[in-house]
Amino acid sequence: MTDTLYLAWRYLAFHRVKTAILVAAITLIVFLPVGLRVIVNQSSRQLTARAEATPLVIGAKGSPTELTLNTLYFSSDVPARTTYAVASEVTATDLARAIPMYVRFRVQGQPIVGTTLEYFEFRGLELAAGRQIAVLGEAVLGSRAAEMLGVGPGDYVVSSPESVFDIAGVYPLRMPVVGVLDFSDSADDDAVFVDVKTAWVIEGLGHGHQDLSRPEAAAGVLRREGNVVVGNAAVMQFNEITPDNIDSFHFHGDLSGFPLTAVVVVPPDQRSSALLQGRYQTSETNQVVSPSEVMDKLLGTILTVEKFVIAGAVTVGMATLATAFLVFALSLRLRRRERETLFKIGGSRTAVATVMASEIVAVLAVGVLSALVLTFLTQRYGDVIIRALIR
Amino acid sequence: MKTASTVAAAILAFGIAACGGPSPEAEVEANAEAPAVEVAEEMVLYTTNYPLAYFAERIGGDRVRVEFPVPAGVDPAYWTPSPEEVSAYQGADLILLNGAGYEGWVAKTSLPESKLVNTSSGFEDLYVVAEDAVVHTHGPEGEHEHENVAFTTWLDPELAIEQARAIRDALAERLPGAEADLQAGIEALEADLMAIDARIEAWATALGGQAVLASHPVYQYLARRYELNLRTVHFEPGEVPTPSGWRDLAALMQGHAADWMLWEANPLDETRQRLASDYGVGSVVFAPTGNRPASGDYMDAMRANVAALEALPAS
Repeated sequence: MTDTLYLAWRYLAFHRVKTAILVAAITLIVFLPVGLRVIVNQSSRQLTARAEATPLVIGAKGSPTELTLNTLYFSSDVPARTTYAVASEVTATDLARAIPMYVRFRVQGQPIVGTTLEYFEFRGLELAAGRQIAVLGEAVLGSRAAEMLGVGPGDYVVSSPESVFDIAGVYPLRMPVVGVLDFSDSADDDAVFVDVKTAWVIEGLGHGHQDLSRPEAAAGVLRREGNVVVGNAAVMQFNEITPDNIDSFHFHGDLSGFPLTAVVVVPPDQRSSALLQGRYQTSETNQVVSPSEVMDKLLGTILTVEKFVIAGAVTVGMATLATAFLVFALSLRLRRRERETLFKIGGSRTAVATVMASEIVAVLAVGVLSALVLTFLTQRYGDVIIRALIR
Repeated sequence: MKTASTVAAAILAFGIAACGGPSPEAEVEANAEAPAVEVAEEMVLYTTNYPLAYFAERIGGDRVRVEFPVPAGVDPAYWTPSPEEVSAYQGADLILLNGAGYEGWVAKTSLPESKLVNTSSGFEDLYVVAEDAVVHTHGPEGEHEHENVAFTTWLDPELAIEQARAIRDALAERLPGAEADLQAGIEALEADLMAIDARIEAWATALGGQAVLASHPVYQYLARRYELNLRTVHFEPGEVPTPSGWRDLAALMQGHAADWMLWEANPLDETRQRLASDYGVGSVVFAPTGNRPASGDYMDAMRANVAALEALPAS
């Protein structure tokens, strides 16, 4: 039996290119539908779990999917802005907790999530090292963000400009990292969390600069008109908030008009939820969405697409299988003289048939095994792939 | 193919089972089995000035532990907490703010908004806006004003009572079943504050529109409540006024011939004597009590303030 298997192995090893092509074909035939099913299952589970944990989201009118994906997964597609007044309105109703979200900026690709301390409590995020954000300008990183950026408490991260040519727009803010969160196996692991006011400082709505009323800032003063001091372009602005300059930081205008990408709304019961949804359904500027409903719709689309893809994969698989069968059949025909030689030198018909069958079984087995390994890897790392795709 | 799919599905099912934690039902059952232990913990309140700390102690009694971390001798209105002190505020059950721009540091820190109680938010329309706000303008946003709102709201006892009621409401929301005790606490506090109010009212009525000076712009609410004819200079109790400060006083007194100047704390003897000899202005201390007094409590300090006013000889 060992001799038979050895002969089969030697044949496959000699025709390694043909064998590799056959194994790859078998692998794909098995893996495509199974792997796709795994991916879809995982993404459904992930999307549904986080969406169901987020009762309501209020944002500016626009795409509900964009709003939901940005709020839940910090996707780079930034929805239209609503204002901080919405968060205050919701709080004032006493119907729900309102958590402001401003997800617009990045640190080397990692999303900067401007929010309040309630967000950490809401998502059940715990610190693994350092402390919570205390002062304007500080950052707490998700575990994967800390790993990707190679930083920890005591280090600094710098917000990235939105565009290379955005000279007059968002200027980089250097932020001390004061804490790193525990791994939570969610999009929060990828985030750089800051206070929402820090996000506004990054946007330029709040800033710190020399006190224009002091003599040392004379170079930055264009003119004085009574109580009004007009600064010129030479006013030195700070790109890092430190204990020495924090008192000079201030915001321009009324905070209630400041931008947010969303407000996460956490009502205590169904009645409060229904009342709040009723209030915002007639709003001309804002929309209230239930992330689980948005995700159900999205998953409906994904499942429809999945059906087409699986149907296609099965069709291609059958064609490939037929081709493989043809390859085996033609191969057997071409090897008729080889079989006769084996027979003439003393090999029984059974032994010769076993050699041929072993070759086919080996190819099929390796193909199926490879597909299973790929399926396992998909199962293991699928969530990472899905999150990367969403971002 | 069918076999392969089945095997893969089995692996997938195993993987999902291995990755998943206990089911929600199992957790509910586990929680149901745990003994229900109710521990009556005292509520931890952090405040940003002493009047609020005093009001909270009077209203909450033994049910609350009030923390006021501003060091003695420091004006809480200009105090900035360290990150560690901010962390302590974050850990409180409730953070009582004076509002009216009193605690400027709050805007530059991260505090849980659900724990913040702005005790003056109920009378924002009654804020006194200072007239000497500095405006600066630069950049594409153009002009913006750093509006100065007077923040010693508690010097008007009626507003102090409003702030105390805001504390009572916040506590009542978080301490179910304690309404009666909280009500008893606030009624006693209100009675004390109204007694102070009546005495200042009587003094102000007797004063009858006579000009009074204030060494610092902290008495806006007091002046409005009792219709005092009060004008303000910028003298510090611990410093001798500069020559320009004296000139400003002289100019002010041209149309505002006051006999008395209210001080936050005892002025230097040199200042007191020059005020008396050169300007005929006596000094009287009316401590706003933003921070804890060296001795006694808020009400003791206010009674001392009123006694000092009542002791002023008639003009």
